Amino acid sequence: MIKSAKKKRKEVQSQNLSASLMAKFSDYGIFIIFLLLVIILSIAKPNFLRPQNIMNVLRQTSINGLLSIGMTFVILTGGIDLSVGSILAFGGVVAASFASDAMGKGIHPPMVAAGIGLLAGILLGAVSGVLIAKWKVPAFVVTLGMLSIARGLTFIYTDGMPIPRIDKAFLFFGQGEVLGIPFPVIIFGVTYLLSWVVLYKTRYGRYIYAVGGNEKSAKVSGVNTRLIIFTVYVISGLLSALGGIILTARTTAGLPQAGQAYELDAIAAVVIGGTSLSGGQGALSGTIIGALLIGVINNGLDLLSVSSYFQQVIKGAIIIGAVLLDSLRKKE
Amino acid sequence: MKKLLVCVAIALIITGTLFAGGAQEAGKKTYNIGAAVYGLQAEYMRLWTTALERHPDVQSGLVKITVFDGKYDASVQQAQFETMATQGYDGALFVPIDIEAGAAAVATAKRAGIPVVGSNTRVNSDDLLSYVGSDDRLSGYMEAKSVIEQIGGKGNVVIIEGPIGQSAQIERKEGNMKALAEHPDVKVLEMRTANWSRAEALSLMENWLNSHPGQIDGVIGQNDEMALGAIQAIEQARLNVKDFGIAGIDGVTDAMLAVKENKMVSILQDATAQAQGGLDILLAKIIGPSFVPKADVWKHIDFNGGKEAIYNVPWVPITLENVDALLAERQELTQR
Repeated sequence: MIKSAKKKRKEVQSQNLSASLMAKFSDYGIFIIFLLLVIILSIAKPNFLRPQNIMNVLRQTSINGLLSIGMTFVILTGGIDLSVGSILAFGGVVAASFASDAMGKGIHPPMVAAGIGLLAGILLGAVSGVLIAKWKVPAFVVTLGMLSIARGLTFIYTDGMPIPRIDKAFLFFGQGEVLGIPFPVIIFGVTYLLSWVVLYKTRYGRYIYAVGGNEKSAKVSGVNTRLIIFTVYVISGLLSALGGIILTARTTAGLPQAGQAYELDAIAAVVIGGTSLSGGQGALSGTIIGALLIGVINNGLDLLSVSSYFQQVIKGAIIIGAVLLDSLRKKE
Repeated sequence: MKKLLVCVAIALIITGTLFAGGAQEAGKKTYNIGAAVYGLQAEYMRLWTTALERHPDVQSGLVKITVFDGKYDASVQQAQFETMATQGYDGALFVPIDIEAGAAAVATAKRAGIPVVGSNTRVNSDDLLSYVGSDDRLSGYMEAKSVIEQIGGKGNVVIIEGPIGQSAQIERKEGNMKALAEHPDVKVLEMRTANWSRAEALSLMENWLNSHPGQIDGVIGQNDEMALGAIQAIEQARLNVKDFGIAGIDGVTDAMLAVKENKMVSILQDATAQAQGGLDILLAKIIGPSFVPKADVWKHIDFNGGKEAIYNVPWVPITLENVDALLAERQELTQR
């Protein structure tokens, strides 16, 4: 009995290995498309390659990047998290309220304020996680509900008004620089590295792929699937709140209406990056390229002064086009 | 279980209607007024509803206000007017999301005999009792004029627009363009929407500062939030905000603070005047000539028994001289 379980686990692992190899291969497709876009943009607009602009793109990508990393964890298990934009707003205003004198909560050190904001995100993620993992309510439904609940809580908490007068020290999270690199970009980079280690160098990471690949067989092979599923929503909540903290520090205000429709860009980044919406297949590096691709599209269309109307059409077309090219290439 | 739920629901509906009927028969001591606003997610609408609830006649209990959140959706607002009609409201204040679609909601109210006063944003309807608001064309003109003045009458400006197609965006743009037409030496480098959002305007301005390095002299933000986003981008690029001429509209709290630091110019839209003035006009119609209007705004403009079709609430430019007083007033209104 024990032997067979072990054998199964090995099988799952080898399946994962080939799956991740395939996913790695498909990364290059998106990567080539990404490079092409960068080359075209730098020819059309030499300003694009200025170091300052590259920092702009990275800084503008960092928030969606964080949400996309969390979304990758969730989608790899075969779930979805529609509540990231609302949790971002909630985490952002909670952190803001402890870093400003506007709500009578006192000005706390940046790490304390940010810590409370992160806890808020973890808490909401955990609520979704319990409902999905333990009570088996579909993730789409739970996080759709949470999208509305977290947004409502944000408005209740702030009384619908922005939280002004954020403490200067707190603003470092969004506006600070270390060795010329914007702090949001550093947060994004460190989060990526940590997540990469978690996903690819730990048993936990392998279990995430296993649960997404085939939940039943993962369970049979002794994986605590409930725990795995629960934790990915906690991670997504945590990273959403982290995005909210950066957004608050970047805009110098806790904005209750921030982050609306951000879930769409996060899901788009994951899908562009080649992660399968049915779970079990995909790679974190693809997601990062996906997020950068969206950032470059937004930035490039601004630089080229494309009108707002066209911008939306072009963005949608590039998203579909990138995935289409990738799937055509895979067929060959 | 299901049957039980249905029974409870029916019982609730019946008692609800009985109760509503009862309240009406008990003599018109309390006037039920519905305030249908386009969306409570906007800071300005929060200020507007807070000011409305502080109207002396609401505080005294003569008027009971129910606020309907239109959630930025014309069909939601239409449904809310249908609710007011069936619930027999005495009057409605209306801040429509859409200038054309709002007309159907006003018609619904009229069929039910409910007088409607428009406030803040316009609606294309002859059935409106009156409208109390501020002229967005004028504010667009004023802010553009101020930016042009700040940059010395010539140079390059960028315009950050509201959501394309909203009446405030259309009218503020008309005002912007009118002022710019008077100054052919001022060139518009870029014009793009940031959907009233500070975060969107921040990214947009970062990108513009890169594509037009050293060329942008002024920023016309069609609201304060977007002007604040532009300021953030300029500071982030380590440029001096005071080298730019920047203006916004609305007078949100953060903009007042920025005016105080001499970073921008803002024009206050008077939410208290629009909300409380609108209620006065409505009550004058419902109660009759014996009604005495209570809003402060009537010290500046003539009430005339509430019979005018349009009341134009003046814009208040926020200056270093009046900013402290305005901030104190705001503090009082936003006490959490």
